[in-house]
Amino acid sequence: MKPAPFDYYAPATIEEACQLLSDAGGGATLVAGGQTLMPLLALRMSQPFVLVDLNGIKALKGISRQAGRTRIGPITRQNEAIADATLNAAQPLIVTAVKHVGHHQTRNRGTIGGSIALGEPAAELPATAVALGASVEVRSTRGTRQIKADELYFGPYATALEPDEMITAIDVPEWPSGTVSVFREIAQRPGDFALVGLTGAVTIDNGRITRAGIAWFGMGPTPIKARQAESALIGQEIAALDAKAIAELAIADTAPFDDLHATAEYRRTVGRRVFTRALSEALDLRAAA
Amino acid sequence: MNAPEMLDTKTQTQAHAQATGYIGKRMARTEDARLLTGRGVYVDDVGLPGALQVAFHRSPIARGRIKSIDLSAARQLPGVYAVLTADDLARFKVDMLSFFLAAPVVPVPVLATDCVRHVGDPVAMVVAQDRYIAEDAAGLIVVDYDEEDPVVTLADAKTGPLVHPDADSNVAAATGNEDPDEDLEAQLANAPHLVTVEFEHQRISQSPMETRGVVSAPQGSGELTIYLSCQGPQLNARWFAQAFGMPQTAIRVISKDVGGSFGLKGQPWREEVAVVLASMLLKRPLKWIEDRLENLTSANQAREQEIKLRVAFDADGKLVASHADYGLNNGAYPQGADSNIAVMMFLWGAHKLPVFDFHARGWFTNTVGLAAYRGPWALESLAREVLLDRAARQIGLDPIEIRRRNLIRREDQPCTTPMGLELTDISPAECLDVLLEKIDVAAFRAEQAEARKQGRYLGLGFATYIEPTAGSTGIGVLMSESAHIRIEPTGKVSAVVSTHSQGHGTQTTMGQVIAERLGVRFEDVAVYEDDSSRGGYGSGAYGSRQAVAGGGACIRAADLLVDKIKRMAAYLLKVEPDAIVLGDSMIRALGDKEQVVSFRDLADIAYGEPERLPEGMDAGLEIQYRYRPPPITMTSAAHACIVEVDADTGFVKIKRWVTSEDCGNMINPAVVEGQIAGGLAQAIGEVLMEEVSFDARGNPTAVTYKDYMLPTIFDVPEFEYHHEASRPSIAEGGFRGVGEGGCIIGPPTLVNAIADALAPFGELKLEFPLTPSRLLAHIEGRREIAERAAPAESAPLPVPESARAASESASTVENLPAPSAPQEPVAASTAVQVDGEWKFVLSTPMGPQAFTGRMSTDGDQLTGVFIMNMDEAHFTGTVSGNQLKWDLKVTKPMKITLKYEAQIDGDKLTGKCKMGIFGSAKLVGERVST
Repeated sequence: MKPAPFDYYAPATIEEACQLLSDAGGGATLVAGGQTLMPLLALRMSQPFVLVDLNGIKALKGISRQAGRTRIGPITRQNEAIADATLNAAQPLIVTAVKHVGHHQTRNRGTIGGSIALGEPAAELPATAVALGASVEVRSTRGTRQIKADELYFGPYATALEPDEMITAIDVPEWPSGTVSVFREIAQRPGDFALVGLTGAVTIDNGRITRAGIAWFGMGPTPIKARQAESALIGQEIAALDAKAIAELAIADTAPFDDLHATAEYRRTVGRRVFTRALSEALDLRAAA
Repeated sequence: MNAPEMLDTKTQTQAHAQATGYIGKRMARTEDARLLTGRGVYVDDVGLPGALQVAFHRSPIARGRIKSIDLSAARQLPGVYAVLTADDLARFKVDMLSFFLAAPVVPVPVLATDCVRHVGDPVAMVVAQDRYIAEDAAGLIVVDYDEEDPVVTLADAKTGPLVHPDADSNVAAATGNEDPDEDLEAQLANAPHLVTVEFEHQRISQSPMETRGVVSAPQGSGELTIYLSCQGPQLNARWFAQAFGMPQTAIRVISKDVGGSFGLKGQPWREEVAVVLASMLLKRPLKWIEDRLENLTSANQAREQEIKLRVAFDADGKLVASHADYGLNNGAYPQGADSNIAVMMFLWGAHKLPVFDFHARGWFTNTVGLAAYRGPWALESLAREVLLDRAARQIGLDPIEIRRRNLIRREDQPCTTPMGLELTDISPAECLDVLLEKIDVAAFRAEQAEARKQGRYLGLGFATYIEPTAGSTGIGVLMSESAHIRIEPTGKVSAVVSTHSQGHGTQTTMGQVIAERLGVRFEDVAVYEDDSSRGGYGSGAYGSRQAVAGGGACIRAADLLVDKIKRMAAYLLKVEPDAIVLGDSMIRALGDKEQVVSFRDLADIAYGEPERLPEGMDAGLEIQYRYRPPPITMTSAAHACIVEVDADTGFVKIKRWVTSEDCGNMINPAVVEGQIAGGLAQAIGEVLMEEVSFDARGNPTAVTYKDYMLPTIFDVPEFEYHHEASRPSIAEGGFRGVGEGGCIIGPPTLVNAIADALAPFGELKLEFPLTPSRLLAHIEGRREIAERAAPAESAPLPVPESARAASESASTVENLPAPSAPQEPVAASTAVQVDGEWKFVLSTPMGPQAFTGRMSTDGDQLTGVFIMNMDEAHFTGTVSGNQLKWDLKVTKPMKITLKYEAQIDGDKLTGKCKMGIFGSAKLVGERVST
């Protein structure tokens, strides 16, 4: 388990990094925290010709707020994010989700952008970005563009990023006051990828839901936005809400599969239950299932 | 905490030396400082000048012929020193051996020769300046295969093609009776209660934290120094010597720190042997460290089994008769073909069961081979304890009560089980008594009933077991252990012991024993067990033997040394030997005026002024002693576990786990409890999450720890330990082994708790591991049945037990093979030549045994002799045509009459030997001369 040979670069600026990606013509891979990449390199499942180390690029780090949005530097460590006062105030759902990523030790190295860029379908952060309506700022020598999180993922580890592009920021809209988080993860052991996961935010105004963003993880080949459930929730009066019926709509959007750890049937059955329970608890419904 | 009996050995100890109280003391381990601060010395920490690195090229297919191997690209890569295949190693004659040092039943190639037999089968090896380049080159090797359909599962093995074309069948080993015993079948059929469990157990990877590894350094003098991650340097040195046909004095195995083994590293296997041979070929030190991918796909594995256990009970829930049908996946190249006789020995080893019979087979498949795993026979406890709980529910008895009615208690012993096990001091029932003082079962049942009303499912599971430890019978490599204790001229104590730690802490425990018996301070004793050239033969860590066999050796050696010290000190101090007391590393002469000398003072004279010693006393202060413990030292235990199963998600939460064991006198309770905890952690993994899985083509599908799930600290609860049931064994020191127990009793304890929790959903479907997905499928399936039965009614109802029991017991006597037609004897007129010298091979449960013999005939009378290990066994029998029959009485490993039947065809003889309760073994013979 030793990586195949590669050239290693440690650029100091985003421009240099983009140039290296461009020069490599698709043969480069970015490394930040390395919590997924290093094992993949060691297993030779990933064999890039060029490894571009982002850890020396200061502009990729840090969290800031401006104009109702939160901007997260992609190489911000997961544990830095958990401890960050700005993020805790502006994006409590992201903090909750990050706390479920791996273990304390891996979160010391693992980054927010690394998890979002990888596109593991059973991971917490891609789904949370989808749920909150986040977008990623993407750079290359060809220019800068924004990709909406719900347009970023095509399949397991497959994203809309071109081989010469890198994420330079994660841009998350701040949800209004009156927003509650909905988050539930079922994993075989703490720190494992989810068998079933659910992440989202719901805004309540005067007993009525005005905004909803909910996504599944571990329930299909990508993070899956529960669009039917979201539509049904918006405009709903909390007092009249049937959480079980909403859960059915949410499950209808999923496409789970059988793997070594659980069947698709398991994921649907448990997904229905945890959705009902998580939504009921988040909305403080009396008729909690 | 300790039983009164524990004090007796303390008093005994005082007779020898002033008690320092080290034996029985909860002491911090000597090893821990270096292990916890990263200063341990594992194989990968060994760096030798000029060492090269090895990587293997392995088969990507489970079964096929090698058409061609192209090494050219690999050989051209800069930094590559050599690329070797089986052809390059063919110049060495290597006899691969089982752990018992027996020849394997099928040839085991070091590297694959003409065909590959499992995914991961090593085909070629690259030697390069570093591991990176070695792996690059391994990736450049091109092998062209003719792929064939593999034999993967036990079911495949029974119907599929031969894994080894030269073998008669895919049966690697068999014991027990192929033909059903009609009396037994009648008893099963007619009993008031017949209870059956039938299940498969998944394959397990031993998963040591340190993978396998070897550094082999040939010396110019034709000697080899081998740094090896193993379970005992002495036995491994002996293995290499015998396998290579080299003198053991030319092979030095060094194994300082080892990060776990659990049975995997009991002996060298193909990769380690290949590396040693390549180092001899290339005359360079070579290093190979198995990586985790290799460990999970190419290191031998364990536990893939199937069992059908049928048990008849009388109306009172007492055992009447039992039959077990058992299969074990041996893979392609097992480290000793095995049908696991120990499962049958201990299945009913602690119970009052009048009649038992079995049929057990090991099967070859195109999967990686079978090795040991902590408690290799543990399935007996899982099958029995799960069945007892099922029987209790079926008969309407409490699970504790059904055990009490059937367990052999202390007062019932001595007694002999139907399998010939002579019991003198087992105590599972007494352990259960202690356990029940710690758990308020009635209060739990009330809580359980209340919780069920709220849709919460609590369960309480029990299990008992006995464990044979420190065996010194029947297995030649496991007979005795040695301790060499030396008071150095400096007055400090060096001990070379044939124990070995892969985490066992024997440096600490053997040090405690020696310090106490010698009367020296613990920190004055250094224990060495890392180097085969330092001391005498011993097997290291095997079969829970170290406390008993190693501890006994340390006691005997220390006591002999104390005797010498006393005689010497008494002479020098002019008192009687009885007046000499050793303690706190000082030697005191009691009397009118107390005299005190140090060990250093005495050692100065013993080594430096031997003329001052008493007449006839040898110089120096050292003793070597080899201790053979009693044939088997039994350990017993009872455990209980409380779980909550979330019926919405299928998750199991272990809320409490209580243990009660009889492990005799304890050397160090912390080490005892550590052994129990470690075994239980493995048990939790085995029941809930671990599984080596394959697809239909024999590709392993759990190849990293993302998919092969080990329990983490979050999955393992705090255990409660109770030692009150302990009574000293008859072994020196009164110790009993405790190495494997947790791994044996843990699985049934946890399964029974889960089954109890889910009893409202009917009998638990035994599909291992019991993942949330499987448990939820069981729960939902039962819910659907219940809902269909009672639509729109209240909460799901339990499935009636009687209905289920009936459906299970309905399938009892099916599928029995028809008795085979008796063989027609060849007419007597055909002159058959029996007389002459013969070579025989008997396929015993311990591996094939080769021996010679002579047979002669007089009319229809046969006389003969078998010659084996300088021992002769004479027999008489009968001849009819080409059919021979004779009986042979043996006393080892137990008194038994072997019934032979054979037929002669020319100079060949084939037949079988009925070995009483051990079933039949195949006999083949070849005439050497007339």
